[in-house]
Amino acid sequence: MLVRDIMRSPAVAVSPDTTLGDAYGLMREKGIRHLPVLEAGRLVGVVTDRDLRLATSVLTPQPFPPGSCVAEVLSRPPVTADPGDPVEDAARRMREGKIGCLPVVENGRVIGIITGIDLLDALLALTGVTKPSGRLEVSLPDRPGELSRLTSFLDRRDLTVHSILMYPEGTETVRAVLRVGSMEIRMLAEDLRRSEFHVVWPPEKPWPR
Amino acid sequence: MASVIYHPAYRTYSFGPDHPFNPVRVDMVLDLLEKLGHEVRPVAPEPARRADVLSVHEEYYVRRVEELSAGREVPDSQEYGLGTPDTPAFAGMDEAARWHVGGTLAAARLICEKGEKRVLQLGGGMHHARRNFASGFCVYNDLAAAIQLLIGRGLWVGYIDVDVHHGDGVQQILYEDKRVLTISLHESGQYLFPGTGGVHELGSGLGRGLKLNLPLEPMTGGESYREVFEDVVPTALRRFRPDVLVVQAGADGHFDDPLADLMLTTKDYEAIFRRILDWAGEFTRGRVLFTLGGGYSLKASPRIWATLYLLVHDLPVPAEVPQAWARRWAEVLGEGASRDFFEAGPPRAAHPGGDEIARRNREVARRLLESASAYWF
Repeated sequence: MLVRDIMRSPAVAVSPDTTLGDAYGLMREKGIRHLPVLEAGRLVGVVTDRDLRLATSVLTPQPFPPGSCVAEVLSRPPVTADPGDPVEDAARRMREGKIGCLPVVENGRVIGIITGIDLLDALLALTGVTKPSGRLEVSLPDRPGELSRLTSFLDRRDLTVHSILMYPEGTETVRAVLRVGSMEIRMLAEDLRRSEFHVVWPPEKPWPR
Repeated sequence: MASVIYHPAYRTYSFGPDHPFNPVRVDMVLDLLEKLGHEVRPVAPEPARRADVLSVHEEYYVRRVEELSAGREVPDSQEYGLGTPDTPAFAGMDEAARWHVGGTLAAARLICEKGEKRVLQLGGGMHHARRNFASGFCVYNDLAAAIQLLIGRGLWVGYIDVDVHHGDGVQQILYEDKRVLTISLHESGQYLFPGTGGVHELGSGLGRGLKLNLPLEPMTGGESYREVFEDVVPTALRRFRPDVLVVQAGADGHFDDPLADLMLTTKDYEAIFRRILDWAGEFTRGRVLFTLGGGYSLKASPRIWATLYLLVHDLPVPAEVPQAWARRWAEVLGEGASRDFFEAGPPRAAHPGGDEIARRNREVARRLLESASAYWF
């Protein structure tokens, strides 16, 4: 999944001489929090709702009046993304810089923007929960061939797998979390157990069937 | 004062002998009632017309169902949830699905045209079918079609869905409608299919605050279920004042169900159905339409739905299952089928963490009422 797959395009932008009042109005009107600032088509910074609130707050010793220019409060230099960056790379840059958005720049031009919200959408899509599905969790020994054993098993059952996520559980096992497009995961779990898989969810019923 | 809708053509809605959605379930209900000495005289419906189906589905979706039904290839069928392992395509599926829609529409017409109070449709309940997407064994959404018919006649509808899975299709189709209150109780979608049905899904536009979801912890038992059911449902009905109740009476919350993890017993279902009938008396002048739904334990579902039939007709529930019935279905029922009509539940020891589960369910019910009621005044 790449930045170009999840970015909002085109990005709503302002220029350095836009007033704080107008920038604020634009954010309210569009329901957004981040505005790239362009000067003659070139990205010079980003202004956020937080920048505006801090700059104009009565708690600030010398608050800017609403007629001031964006150029006076914007964050710079802008941190950007390339449309071809993987989303996890963009997420890392935002996390490390503690910033809420990345303007997406291609050939020197801003072609879109991604924000934390877009990354949450990406997380939802990656986990497969946006499609009708149920959750299957299997604990696998951390050695080559185990995931393949699991997926071949699923393949034989002709099941639609919407996503597979894996993370280390301890030193010897990894947890595979799958969203499977089926109501019949419990029967599947029973079959998996019979084939020596350690199924964490769905659980075995604690009463005889 | 009570009618039953059924047609043998419902049996044609079948995904094959190994699929859980098995028409034998209703055969077992009808035979059980007969062996108990009740003559079931159903009203025979017609299959729904294409136009009825189009009241809740997109034309491009219906066209694909028709193509598959006629045995033709539809290359992009999977994008519409059709021809999947859960909802495989089969010859005649369009008409088979229209029979179930027709039955639920006939039930709705009995109520709004003939003044019938209680109608039990022994089919339908296809609550997963979305406007343009088949899922979870459901092709056409008979419930949404019947609800559309009822609101078209000026009746406001309170929809109660006790199937163990979230009633996502009904909710989606009616998400913005202010004339329909939907209440779905289900095992939490955090783990179970279809994954939706969170407390925060409250409807949109004029329907905001009128789509209620009570997701329950896996392994929720009858006591906790009935407690939150009692907290939420009458509160919402009292506020909304529907003219008629439509109930999806899925039986897959039973502890023996192979597809889910709630722990209801047949006795719990009896209590749930009785309360729904009470509320129909209190809020809708007795008007209530029941459909079937999920329910994949062949040991449990026939008794649960026979119980529903008996309650709807104000008949007593017997103590035991007739021997002749148990003999006839011995092979299907398998080992360990209950001789008592109300089987003993799972042993209490099999319910670890029951108090914590009840606490969490109570908390979810509280959050639901708090967030929905913000839109009620």
